[in-house]
Amino acid sequence: MSFRWIIQGINLALFLFLLGAAIKGSAGWPVDLYLRMDPVLVFSTFISGRVLLWAFLPALIVFAATPILGRVFCSHFCPMGTTLEFLRKLRPWRRSNNPSFKRLSAAKYLVLAFILGGSFLGISWVFIASPLSLITRFYGLFIYPLLALLGQGGLLLLRPLVERWDWNALLFTSVTVPRFFTQIFVLAFFLALFILEGLFPRFWCRTLCPAGALLALFSRRPLFRRKVSEGCTECGKCVRACPTAAIAEDDPRSSHSEECIVCLTCERICPEKAVLFSIGPSKREKRPEPFVLERRQFLLGGAVGFLTAAAGLTDPKGPRGKGKAGEVLTAGLLRPPGSLPEKEFLARCVRCGECVTACPTHVLQPIWFEAGFIGLFSPKTLPQVGYCDPLCRRCAQVCPTGAITLLSPEDRLWVKMGTAVIHKEKCLAWERKKGCMVCDEVCPYKAVEFRFQEGNPVAVPEVHEERCSGCGYCEFYCPVKPDAAITVSPNGAVRLAKGSYAETAQKMGLHLSLKQAPSLPLPEMKPGAPGRAPGFD
Amino acid sequence: MTKMDMNRRDFLKVQLAGAVSAFLAPGLLLTGRAAAQSAPPDLAVVTGSPGPATRAAVDLLGGIKQFVRPGQRVVIKPNMSFSTPPERASNTHPEVVRELVILCQEAGASSILVVDHTLHRPENCLENSGIRAACNAVVKNCVQAVNDPSLFSEVKIPQGRRMNSTEVMKAVLQSDVLIAAPVAKSHSSTGVSLSMKGMMGLVYDRRTMHFKDIHTCVVDLCTVLKAQLTVIDATRVLSTGGPGGPGTVLPGRMVIASRDMVAADAYTVAQFEWYEQKFRPAQVAHIRQAHERGLGRMDIENLKIKKITV
Repeated sequence: MSFRWIIQGINLALFLFLLGAAIKGSAGWPVDLYLRMDPVLVFSTFISGRVLLWAFLPALIVFAATPILGRVFCSHFCPMGTTLEFLRKLRPWRRSNNPSFKRLSAAKYLVLAFILGGSFLGISWVFIASPLSLITRFYGLFIYPLLALLGQGGLLLLRPLVERWDWNALLFTSVTVPRFFTQIFVLAFFLALFILEGLFPRFWCRTLCPAGALLALFSRRPLFRRKVSEGCTECGKCVRACPTAAIAEDDPRSSHSEECIVCLTCERICPEKAVLFSIGPSKREKRPEPFVLERRQFLLGGAVGFLTAAAGLTDPKGPRGKGKAGEVLTAGLLRPPGSLPEKEFLARCVRCGECVTACPTHVLQPIWFEAGFIGLFSPKTLPQVGYCDPLCRRCAQVCPTGAITLLSPEDRLWVKMGTAVIHKEKCLAWERKKGCMVCDEVCPYKAVEFRFQEGNPVAVPEVHEERCSGCGYCEFYCPVKPDAAITVSPNGAVRLAKGSYAETAQKMGLHLSLKQAPSLPLPEMKPGAPGRAPGFD
Repeated sequence: MTKMDMNRRDFLKVQLAGAVSAFLAPGLLLTGRAAAQSAPPDLAVVTGSPGPATRAAVDLLGGIKQFVRPGQRVVIKPNMSFSTPPERASNTHPEVVRELVILCQEAGASSILVVDHTLHRPENCLENSGIRAACNAVVKNCVQAVNDPSLFSEVKIPQGRRMNSTEVMKAVLQSDVLIAAPVAKSHSSTGVSLSMKGMMGLVYDRRTMHFKDIHTCVVDLCTVLKAQLTVIDATRVLSTGGPGGPGTVLPGRMVIASRDMVAADAYTVAQFEWYEQKFRPAQVAHIRQAHERGLGRMDIENLKIKKITV
């Protein structure tokens, strides 16, 4: 086992540990660290979101290191690269020839140009190919539910034994299997990638990865690079072993530094010990023609990204102008609490799925095309699946780019994601005259009140819109299924780019006060008819 | 299910034996005065702080040994469905539940479980209700939220009028003794939520019960889930805004215990004001129906009630 494998293993383990910490909600860990190391994710978000955040520091360090050390990020740190490489070890076949994909290798620059082209228009395409966004989704949206499913099965198998021993701690342990939309995309994408990786080593990294392309631009001639001494017999062993085909086929002495990921395989396997990675120039060094795209092609790729983004802006479901407080969004599109106004939100959101993975109630779900195709895979709250706890800020805590603002716990309570609406024609109390009031029972705010209605023996619920945060408890618990008799509409949602939610909401006349903290004086309730208490005859 | 039947049969036997001895005892063994003292009341009402009042109320009914025999498996069903602190009165007071756990332990129960199918997130409910901390200190891991569908199994309700079957916690089906330990609180669809309504915390699908007329469904449920001992925590009473609150919390300062769920519930309804009004037990549909269907007695004026202060 080489030194590099150990470093890779540690990095992948740390990446997974941090993802686990995000799921568990352990405070204090920089759970999004690896996402913030992704060069293309950060650079594209810097342009599309027009922001420079301290959170981007890890990627800046990667950028700064590349002209010195070359693409060590790709070979040692990137969890995507490591995952692909590890899985390659498991392939059931052995292939020896490794085509150089000379022309195809340039494709990654096109992908990069496409992403950056969109960024200039404030549209984020980074999610289509950012390695960290993709690998986070792979582990978060696909592997995590899979493991939960296996864990659940395991617990069920153990249960007879546990029951026999009255081992309560384990007997009542249950695993909730999270269910995420778009997981089929993740599966299909990675299946294709794994097959390609099985056929050609580092296929993704050298032909498609825009982060690799970006780093390649910085590693045309890194300080630390490959040198070949007199001892070289041109046996060609290194040419065949190089995973990125960075060594010229006709001349093993020269290599493409921008393609080289500094895995040091050539140094390790050279029978003559003639290959050495070191700092500084070498007399005999020759540089072959680079694989890089011509400027014209690069600009063309950028133009396509730009125009696609422009088309995205004309999508009827896309954001219009600068989102402002009270703007009506697409029906059913409830964004996570504290999300920036829609346009800024989409410019910043990299669709890594970290918030979706970490959401403790799994109310957050990635969407398909509900917000237009520029909103693909962005998160929304789906009250049918769960509710949004007003005391929880997990999604904002794990968001790598601040698309969801991390508010103070106090300010968080004042976030209005939408408004609950009662559909009287479906409501058990209103329509069927049956005692229910579950919505009132579960509302964490004081937004649902009962009242008595002429000719109805049971109390009926009523939503006070100014007290409703759109958290979705009522919709989730409503006994009318599958389409609840009370649903949350994005109407009235407040989304701020800056400033205090509490102040804004109070100025708008909202009274978002939790039941458990009756700190804010509420306007007088309308009294029920005298002599009536709900549920009594 | 067979086990459940057996338990119920056992329970009936015990009750029958009790009734026979109560009938025979005065004439055969004891003087009239002694009999009056020894025959336990139908309702025990104890004013005092939560823990001691609980113990005293159970003692008035003849002591915990009347209900729990050595080696038996006990399930205690408190209210701990809301992530709220004890003073909100939407959950049973932790000290009431703890005292019951201690009593069962003293009686030699082989297994003691404190369970509820929580509405809010289990972790938060167990933590904020204070019940886990209070009871787990007595019996390790005895407090559990039971929300996973695999922990429930189907039970037929032969006497059901609106429900023919439902999924009940396996832990309850495998137990010998069920103790209802609800808090006294109002409920926006069933008037009050006491021991009978509390049985809904032992079933998986409560959603459909709302569809099928919740009062009748609660009674249907109580035909199969009969607590042998009911201890109502009325140390605080959530008079308005129930079941979750916040609402007016009355200082009830008492614990009401009975072998009869209906009687305990009926007494609690009559004892306190709900939404600033007095109600008769018959005004709560599920209590009235339970009485009519012979599950227990709501005519508290005809029952033997023993009240003390500790």
